[in-house]
Order: sequence, then structure tokens, then C-alpha cells
Amino acid sequence: MLMRFARRTGILIATLIVGSMAVFLLLRVLPGDPAQVALGVNATPEALAQLRHEFGVDRPLPVQYLEWIGGIFRGDFGTSYVTGRVVAAEISKRVSVSVWLVVLGQLAAIVIAIPLGVLAALRQRKASGTVFAGISQIGVAVPSFITGLLLINIFAVRLGLVPSGGWTAPTEDFGLFVEQAILPVLTIGLVQGALLSRYVRSAALDVLREDYIRTARSKGLMPLRAFLRHGSRNAAVPVITVIGLQVATLIVDTIVVERVFVIPGLGSLLFDGVANRDLLLVQGIVLLIVATILVMNYIIDLLYLAIDPRMRRSA
Amino acid sequence: MRITPRITAALAIVVVSAVALTGCASGSAAKSTATTATIGLTAEPANLDFTTTDGAAIPQALLDNVYEGLVTLNNDGEIEPLLATSWEVSSDNKDYTFTLADGVTFSNGDKFTAETVKWNIENVKSDKWTISLKSYMDVVDSVEVVDDTHVTVKLSKPSNDWLFRMTTRIGAMFDPDASTDLANTAVGTGPYTVAEFNSGDSLVLEQRDGYWGTKPALEKVTFKYFSDPNAENSALQSGSIDAISGLSSLDSMSLFSDTSKYTIQDGSTNAEVVLSMNNASGIFKDVRVRQAVNYAIDRQAIITNSTADTGKLIGSMVPPTDPWFDSSLVDAYPYDVDKAKELISEAGVEGATIRFRIPNLANVSAAAQQVQSYLTAVGFKVELDTLEFPAQWLDKVFTGHDYDMSIINHVEARDIATYADPTYYWGYDNAEFQSLVAKADAGTADEQVSYLKDAAALLSKDAVSDWLYLESYVSVVKPSLTGLPANQLGESLNVTDLAWS
Amino acid sequence: MTVLMKPRMSTRHRRSIPASLIAGAVIVGLVIIAALVSFIWTPFDPTITTTDRLLSPSGEHFLGTDALGRDVFSQLLVGARTTLYVGIISVGFAAIIGVPLGILSAAGPRWLGELIMRFIDLLLAFPALLLAIIFGAAFGTSTFSAMMAIGIATAPAFARLARSGALQVLSTEYVLAARIARRGELDIAVRHVLPNILGMLIVQASVCYGVAVLAESGLSFLGFGTPPPTPTWGRMLQEAQAIMFTNPMLVVWPAVCIVVAVLGFNLLGDGLRDRFDPKMEDNR
Repeated sequence: MLMRFARRTGILIATLIVGSMAVFLLLRVLPGDPAQVALGVNATPEALAQLRHEFGVDRPLPVQYLEWIGGIFRGDFGTSYVTGRVVAAEISKRVSVSVWLVVLGQLAAIVIAIPLGVLAALRQRKASGTVFAGISQIGVAVPSFITGLLLINIFAVRLGLVPSGGWTAPTEDFGLFVEQAILPVLTIGLVQGALLSRYVRSAALDVLREDYIRTARSKGLMPLRAFLRHGSRNAAVPVITVIGLQVATLIVDTIVVERVFVIPGLGSLLFDGVANRDLLLVQGIVLLIVATILVMNYIIDLLYLAIDPRMRRSA
Repeated sequence: MRITPRITAALAIVVVSAVALTGCASGSAAKSTATTATIGLTAEPANLDFTTTDGAAIPQALLDNVYEGLVTLNNDGEIEPLLATSWEVSSDNKDYTFTLADGVTFSNGDKFTAETVKWNIENVKSDKWTISLKSYMDVVDSVEVVDDTHVTVKLSKPSNDWLFRMTTRIGAMFDPDASTDLANTAVGTGPYTVAEFNSGDSLVLEQRDGYWGTKPALEKVTFKYFSDPNAENSALQSGSIDAISGLSSLDSMSLFSDTSKYTIQDGSTNAEVVLSMNNASGIFKDVRVRQAVNYAIDRQAIITNSTADTGKLIGSMVPPTDPWFDSSLVDAYPYDVDKAKELISEAGVEGATIRFRIPNLANVSAAAQQVQSYLTAVGFKVELDTLEFPAQWLDKVFTGHDYDMSIINHVEARDIATYADPTYYWGYDNAEFQSLVAKADAGTADEQVSYLKDAAALLSKDAVSDWLYLESYVSVVKPSLTGLPANQLGESLNVTDLAWS
Repeated sequence: MTVLMKPRMSTRHRRSIPASLIAGAVIVGLVIIAALVSFIWTPFDPTITTTDRLLSPSGEHFLGTDALGRDVFSQLLVGARTTLYVGIISVGFAAIIGVPLGILSAAGPRWLGELIMRFIDLLLAFPALLLAIIFGAAFGTSTFSAMMAIGIATAPAFARLARSGALQVLSTEYVLAARIARRGELDIAVRHVLPNILGMLIVQASVCYGVAVLAESGLSFLGFGTPPPTPTWGRMLQEAQAIMFTNPMLVVWPAVCIVVAVLGFNLLGDGLRDRFDPKMEDNR
């Protein structure tokens, strides 16, 4: 058990180191000179050289890497080339926006997907089931910026119910937060929910075929009750795995929604960072995302180890 | 069932991080009342420091509103007094003596004096400024403080251009004692200070106490930045913002045709959309081929398609608002396919391949596809290559000169002089042109106009580039909001005259 | 992530041809036909710009013209080619990288399997969109570089699928028999594993196909999709997006094409799965 724990921890550390190198190298092979972007057209070679020196991008790659990674161990992600501000502060400001967007959006997706998926499964042979399945199929195929723009046009422009965009922290003005967040959250919810509902349906179908459901139904239970009472827990297992993965990719994928609703989230910071060649900023964000996902996997694996006796023995 | 722990862990992590990280988000969408206004803009400042960061967005927000110069450019493009109430020029056109306004203070209370002017001009010439525009200050030889309100700037040679450049960012007056963190703090002599800068969202200007000049009507002006044109249009339609300054999707103007709700201002800019040709290498070394390109393209049609008919033909690198604009150049190369083909065969470049390397910007992409269409029609083979902007385009085309043809809009004012620099990406090296530009800078005001007219005509004759069109500056404003500048001729978006009627 | 599990339409009637398979095959067939037709005939040259802009549909221009005066119908036909190309490149990359890695990790020595799976974990942690933007910056914005990035980012899904399939097959009796016959592990993998997991992989591929088409339109929205002048549905959507409230049909046509095509590939995937996937209960 302890051996296995140590081994898994070792693997995590090794993967994190390799991952950080990958992040670093990925951005160094990126052509384009951060100094040139900062100084713009007509910059003199001397000014460029001076700024490159200030940024430290004129030093050998291993030195740059060690300095960067060393700083991170001290909690210092460096200073942004563009804003001159501390990278860690910039990132945490955006993370505090993105977390709301991702968590609420995913919750909306769950609320939309579960009834849609379960009904599509239960009514599989009926026309209504095909309609539910069809809705989710189409929902999956509509690009999210189209969904977002349509929602804005209907609810903000035509009906004037909510603002067309913007972002306010809930701690600052909760009412305004709700008004502004409702459309972007709904957009993410619809797009991710359509996708998720297909997995819900699939999982529900798997469960409905099981013997214990047939037994329950033969006792006279209606399909929905039989499913809810006996099958829903089993069906939830694979679905929740998908939700975890969706949340991980949403962090970056919300950039399109951020653009449409003018929300200062992590996705647009990343996108602008790449465009401006703000290397330390981009490295910081990507490392954070990669590390979060790796650590999440690690914790999950450890919980497996603690809970599942078979895995304990196999160590 | 086995996955249950995975679920629990995943959810736990999400919840914990949500709680931990929702500390302080900021944003603003303040509903406008009689003393505040929100203006929609497109390009967002990267930071607040235009001494080391290039780009139009920073001076657009800060110049004239937060920072002031000795002189400013009014909305008709004329130089007006600001911190200097008047100035005298010596007979040899080399010494400028400025009389400064009295009782001017910075927003932190520090005094603005002749010493401040001297420090600022010398600071631009020092290593503290890194952007390339600082070179406009090279002509300054020395600055002498006469007394608290008089300062003399001595130029090494006469320059008409210098005073004009003093209206731009290089003329901005900083507080010598508060210039250590320009990226995040802005201390100027202007009527507004930066109250909030929320990157990715907005910049909020708030009126300061003790402004030396006339107090503006509005307490608070918010610039809200939109990277998506639809989002910006919807924001105005739903009333979240009060105006769009510089509409980016001109075809959507019809959304704002209701004059009881919106006023449309059609203003002028300095933004020439230039189809550049590499004069230094490849087939465009030959003037006939460049002329052929000018004949082969129907610029009026491009204006219709790309700018909803709002763009203007210019025919050279001079916008109509500059005194040396020559309208006869507009028709120098009428759309004439036969003429183009004739010149092409004369030059012996039928079927030649053109490497057309463009930045990945929506407006450029639209114009480029039309240019490609026209050039294909006269027998060229056009390879369209889209480069990431700014990094890759600057690297390959602008700095590397590795291109045959490109498109970009040149927004800087009075940038005809770029053609006098043989190392610029045009690759144009013409001694006659260079001497015309030099003489224009050194001569009297009248001589400046006539020499630059000749220079513009020479550019047209040599067909150095194809000046596709001049962008217009369309703003959409709520009718009760007045004082939003219609033109974008200087570097600033001056909001000090904004008022609700 | 859409690619880790495969939803399906029907679980019974495994031997009959599911309706989704037919519908999917018909739609995908239409896309292929449109692409093929575009090579020999389009009403207009879809890259030639004119001043006949924003025309309504007519006998001449079946679906009208766009802001640059190009024929919309012709662009849609040629765009079908790009849609197919986009899917082939990204799914091809994903499969070529993912499948061998997956099989190798199952059939190879334990340490190698472990190493490969860690690599896959790491790859999965990199956001696909970021890879696409960086590849676009590094290799020039092109359909190929964008789809290479999407392909690399979806490779882990193929690898995991191939690994789990391979592990199952490798524990069956006939593989034990092959082992006793002293066949090499790799030989066994190629002979027995690949044919057995092919069905699952095809399903996976069709789902990824839809994802890639959507990714292309999302990247176009951000300026990193297929560059001009090649007509693509994603870029048509992006170009019309700025005027979607004044000329809505210019958004509707490419959007409908994308929706229908993605739907077609998804249905095809679901149908294939219902028809051919022998181990539906337990394939993760």
C-alpha cells in the first residue's frame, strides 16, 4: 500500500516535471519575438536587444527554464512582458471569473442533460424518444458562438431582459452578477448539455438492459420508477466521469463564450497572451491547467487505492 | 460503481477550487446616469504605459483625458494650445519658446512647471522610452528653462513635423516623481484619472479634483472593450453602452438606422489601407508591374464590399484632412484591365506568381480576397498566405521583408515620410523623394505643403504601393449624448467634451 | 472528451441495420457527393469576388451572394471538400498516433505500457484549442496545422480505446493459444488485436470526425481556421457572423451544413456501433 502510494507520487512528480518542460518548450519553439511585438513597428535593433535582455529571452534555454521553474517553487510565476504585472495575480484574477463560468455552466449542462438523456432512453422506441435524441444530436452540432449570439439577440436585444454581456463578481453585486451570468451560463449549459445528454442516454440504456431492472419491471414498476429506484445510481457512474473531463476542457474552451459575452476569463487571457507573445503569462496558465488535471488524476487514483480492496491487494 | 471515488474527488476539487478562487473578481457595467457614460471600443490597451508598449489603444484612452501635452490636435486635425498657452518660433525656425499655463498640477497635487517640460522631453530621448515613435524627438537638441512658465526647445534643424508630433504620445507630460510604475498608474495633468483598469473588460476614467482647466461635464467615463463586433452592437442595442466609437462591422450600420434612437457620425481617419508591394525584390521591382496592379484593381468596388461604401479613395499616402492632399491623384490609375495586361506583357511577367502574405485580421482578409480575385483576372498566380498578427506578420513581412505583396492599414498620422526610409518594408529607395520630404520638413509652412504635394505625386507616379482606400471612422451614439469626437485624426479619443443633453 | 465514450442509438436488433446507420450514411454520402461534384461543376467560381453583393436567392444564385459578392451555393459545394479534408487529417493523426501507442502499451513490456499511459495522461492535460493556436502560430495558419493539433489532442482517446480493447483481446483463449504457439507479442497484437478492435475504432473515428468539423468552425471564429481563399463552412460562418443580424441567411446556410454534416457523422458512428461493436457493455 505504502509502496504503491510512493510509486504513484513519484510518477506524479515525474509527469509534472516533464509536463513543465513540455509547456516551456512548446512556447519557445513558437516563432515571433516578444520584444518586437511589445515595441511594434519601426523598433530599432538596439531597443529590441535591450528589451530582449530585460525579458531574459536572450539567455540559453536551460537557464531560462531553471529560472522559471525555480521561481514557481517560490510561488513566483514571473512578471508579464505586456502588463508589467505579476503573472500569478493576473491569472488568479481571471481564474476567479472562469471558475464561476465553468462550474455554473457545467451545472446547467447537468440540469439540461439528465432529463433529456433519461427520457430519450426510456422512450427509445417511441417517437418522443427519437425527438429527444434528435434535439441532443442537433445541439451537439451547433457551434457555441452561434448559440450565444442568438441568445443575446433574443433576450438582451429584443426582449431587453438582461444585459448583452459583461461580468460582475457575485461578491460585488449579486443581482447584476446573476443578470449578466445567466446567458453565458445558459450557452455553455446548452452546448455541453446536448453533448452530455448523449452519454446520459447511453448510460441509461446500458442500465435498462440489466436484469435487475427487468425484475423490477416485472414486479409492475413503471419504467421511470424502476430506473430511478434501481438504475440511476449505476447509470450515474460513467456520466460523472464524462462531467469531470468536460470541466477540464471547458476552462479553455469557454474562450469563445468569453468573446461573445465580453467576459474577462482565463481563456481570453491565454489567447491574448499567445498573440502578444507574453511567454511567462502563457506558460503560467498552461502549467496551471496541466498541473490541475494531473493532480486531479493523482488524487482520484489514490482514492481508488484507498477504497477498492482489489487494487490494494494487487500492489 | 468502481468509479465512485473518482467522482467524489473530482467534485470535491471543483468545489474547493471554486470557493478558494472566487476572492476578488472585478467588472463594471454601471448603468449610465446623467454624469457618466460608457463608450464601446474595439482594441484594448495591454497596459497603461505607452512609453514602452506600442499600439494605438493606450494613447487613445489616456491622451488628452489623463495625460496632456503642450499642444493638442483638435478634431479637425489642427494644432491647438493646451498646457502651453502660446509659443513663439525663432526666425531660423529652430527655437520654440512656450508660455505655459499657470497653476497646472498633476492629479497627485505635484506642480507642473517648465522644469517638468525639460525633464519630459529629455526623458523621451533617454532609454526610458523604448517605442520606435520616440525617434520623432531626435530632432530636439536641447531644452532650456527660462523661468517657471517659459521654456525654450532648441531643434538641431528646422522641422515642421516636430510640433505636430508634440500633439501625439511623445508630447505627453508625466510627473517626474510619479513615473516608476507607468504600466499600472497614470498620473497626468488632465481632467480625468484612471479609476479602474479591468483587463479584458474596461477602463474607467473618473474626474479628478483641482483640474487647472475647464471641468468636463461628466464625472465618469467608461471605455468598454469588445473583441467581437456583434457583442458590441448588441450592447448598444440593449443599452448597456451609450456609444460605439469606431464601428467595426460597417455592414451592420443598418441596425442603427432608427434616428430617434441613434445618431451615426461618419468621421475621418489617417488609416490608409495599403496594398504594399516589395519594391526591392521580385517582380515588383519593375514600376510597370506595380502600375499594372494599380490598373487591375477596382478600388471603388473594394470600398463597396469591404466598408459598406464608407471608405474613401486617396490615390497616395495622404488623407484628405492633410493640407497637402491632392485630389487629382485619386484617378491616376483608373480600373482598366486591358491597360494592366498590356503593362504586364511589356514587363514580361505574364503568369508570374505573387506571394501575398497577409495578417490574420478580418478586414484585411476581405480586402485581400478581392485583390486576389482581380489579380487572377489579369493572369497572375496569387498565393495567399495568412500570417498570425502581430508576431508572425511583423517578423516575416515587416522586419524580414520576405514577401511580394501584403495589406495592412497604416493608422499613424502623416506617415508619408515612411516612404523616405529605404529600410522600411516598402523597399522604396528614391533620392528625389527623400529630398522632397526633407525639404518639406525644413521649409516654411507653405513650402511644406507644396513639397509634400510633389512627394505624394511622385509616389503615385512610381506606383510604389496601391492605396486601396482610407478607412472612415463611424461612430454610433445615443442622440442625447453629445461631444463624442467624430474624427480619429490624432492619437486620442478626447472625451472631455462629452455631455448629456 | 466526446470521444471517450460512445453513445448509441439502439441496443437491440443488433443484426438488423439500425435506422441511424442508414440516415448517417445518407448524409455523409451527400457530403461526399457535394465534394465530388464541386470538382467538376459549381455554378460560379467560389473565390471570384464581385460587386453583386448580398443578393437574395435567385435562379442565378440559388442561395444568393455573400458580402464580397461570391456565390454562396458554390462556396458550400467546395466547402464540403474542406469538411471531409478536415476530418480525414485530424482523425488520421489521432488514429496513427493513438492506436499504435495503445496497442503497444497493452502488448509491450509493463514499464513501456506504464510510460506510454503517463505520456497519454500528459497529452490529455494539454488543451486542444491551445495546441491549435500555437501550431497555427508556429507553422502558419492552415487547415493542416489546425487539424494536426486537433488530431494530436484527440489521440489519447484512440490510445485508451485501443489499449482497453487490446487488453481484453490479449486475455482471451485464442490469444493464449497463440502465446503457447510462441508467437511474438507484437505479431499477436497485429494478427488478433487489430481486427478485433477495428469496429470500435471506426465508431470512435466517426465521432471524432464531427468534433473536428466543429473545432474548425470554432477556430475560424478565432482567426485560426482555414485561411482564405479556400471556402470552408467554418469561415463562411465567421465571415457572415459580423452581419448575422442584417443578413441572417448567410449564417444559416453554412450553419445548417455544419449541423447536418456533424449529425451525419454522429449518426453513422452510432449506427456502426450498434451494428458492429461486439462488446458494448464493457469497452472502456
